[in-house]
Amino acid sequence: MYSQYFGHYLLNKGLIKPEQLADALEYQRSVHLKLGVVAVNAGVMTPDQVESIHNMQKRVDRRFGELAIEQGFINEEQLTALLATQKQGHLMLGQALIDRKYFTLEELHSALESYKKESGISSRQFNVVKSDETQEIEEIFMNFGETILSKTYSDYVTLLVKNIIRFIDDNPVVEINKLNEDYTAQWYAYQEISGVVSLKTGIACSEDAFIKLAAKYAQEDITEADEMAQASVGEFLNLHNGIFLVNMSNNGVELDMKPQDVVQKHTINGSDKIYVISCNMNWGKFDLLIS
Amino acid sequence: MSNGRPTILICDDSLLVRKKLKDCLVECGDYNIVEASNGQASVELFKQHKPDLVFLDIVMPDKSGIEALNEMMATGISAKVIMLSSSGTRSNLKAAMEAGAVDFIQKPWEKSQIEHIMKNIF
Repeated sequence: MYSQYFGHYLLNKGLIKPEQLADALEYQRSVHLKLGVVAVNAGVMTPDQVESIHNMQKRVDRRFGELAIEQGFINEEQLTALLATQKQGHLMLGQALIDRKYFTLEELHSALESYKKESGISSRQFNVVKSDETQEIEEIFMNFGETILSKTYSDYVTLLVKNIIRFIDDNPVVEINKLNEDYTAQWYAYQEISGVVSLKTGIACSEDAFIKLAAKYAQEDITEADEMAQASVGEFLNLHNGIFLVNMSNNGVELDMKPQDVVQKHTINGSDKIYVISCNMNWGKFDLLIS
Repeated sequence: MSNGRPTILICDDSLLVRKKLKDCLVECGDYNIVEASNGQASVELFKQHKPDLVFLDIVMPDKSGIEALNEMMATGISAKVIMLSSSGTRSNLKAAMEAGAVDFIQKPWEKSQIEHIMKNIF
C-alpha cells in the first residue's frame, strides 16, 4: 500500500493529477523497476551518476550494477542491498511515473526526499518499515484537526479502500479533503449510521461514473442510470456500511443504520465537518462524503 | 406450496440483491418466488403466500427485518426464515436468533452458501 500513500502525497502537493496517478498505478503492474531509481532512492547515487551509467549502457551491453561498481559509485555490498529492495511499492510507482513521462528522475528524487522528510521517517526506515495503513490515515484526519472521530474515520476509510479493491477496482487512488465549498452531485447515494457514533455517508458522482460504478459492482451490463444502477450503487454503500458496523460491533460498539437511498442532482453545503474521500480509478472517480 | 412447488419469499429493498438471489435460486431448483421490497410488504406477502422459506434483509424501509420477523413468527405460519444482511452485528444476530430465524448469512453471500441451504431445506 505504500504506493497509495506516496501517490496521495503527490496529489496533495499538486505534483500530479488524479488521472495521471491512476494511469501510473495501472501501468506499474507491468513495470520493471530499474536499479538506478532504487539507487537514487537509497541515496547511494545521484541522478547525474545514474544518467551517466544509462548513457554508458547505450554504448556497452553491460549491467547497471557492474558499471556502477566499476565507476566507483557503489560497492558490492550496496549493490546486493539495492537488488534486495527492488520491489518496493512506492518505487514501483516512481518507475511508472518516469516511464509514463509524468516525472523526470530528478523530479522523482526531489519528491521522494520531501515525502520521506515530511513522513518523519529516515531513508533507511522507509525501505524496510511495513506500512500501518490505519495509522497513516488517522494522522491525515488528525492533521485536519479532527480530534474525536479521527480513529473512526480512519477505520472507515481503510475499510472503504479494501472494499473498493474487493468489489470495484484493484487500484484506487484515495485522496482525503474537507468539503470547503458547496458540492452538487449528479447522483448521490446516501445512508445514515446511528448510535454512540452518528455518521452521514454518501457516494457522489457524475452520471458516467455512476453507471460505471454500478456496472462494476453488480457485474452486470448496466448502460444507463436506471433503477438497477441506483440499486447497485446504493447496495455497494449499504454493504460497505454494514461491514463497518460488523467491525465496530466486534470491537464492542453497536451501531444501527437506516435504509440507503439514491437521489439525482443533490447539493451538499460546504462544511469543515464534512470530509470528502475522493476515490480515483482509471475509468473515473466517485467521492465518498462522510460527516 | 404453490402447484406443488415450494414458495420462497425474498425480502430486500435492493433490486440488485433480489435479482441476484432470484437468479441463484432458479439455478438451484423449481420454486415459486415472491419478492418484497420493504418490511411492511414482507409481512403482508408472508401472510398471503405462506412461504416455505424466507430470505429476509434487516435494514429496510417501513419496517426493519427484525420487526418483520417478529410479526411473521406471531402468525403461527411455519416457515424457515434466513436473515440475509450486510449488518451482522452482535445485536442483530442475537435479535434474529431469539425471534426465530434459523440462519444468518452475512452479505456479500456466495452462491455456494445458497446452494448449501437449498440442499439442506428441500
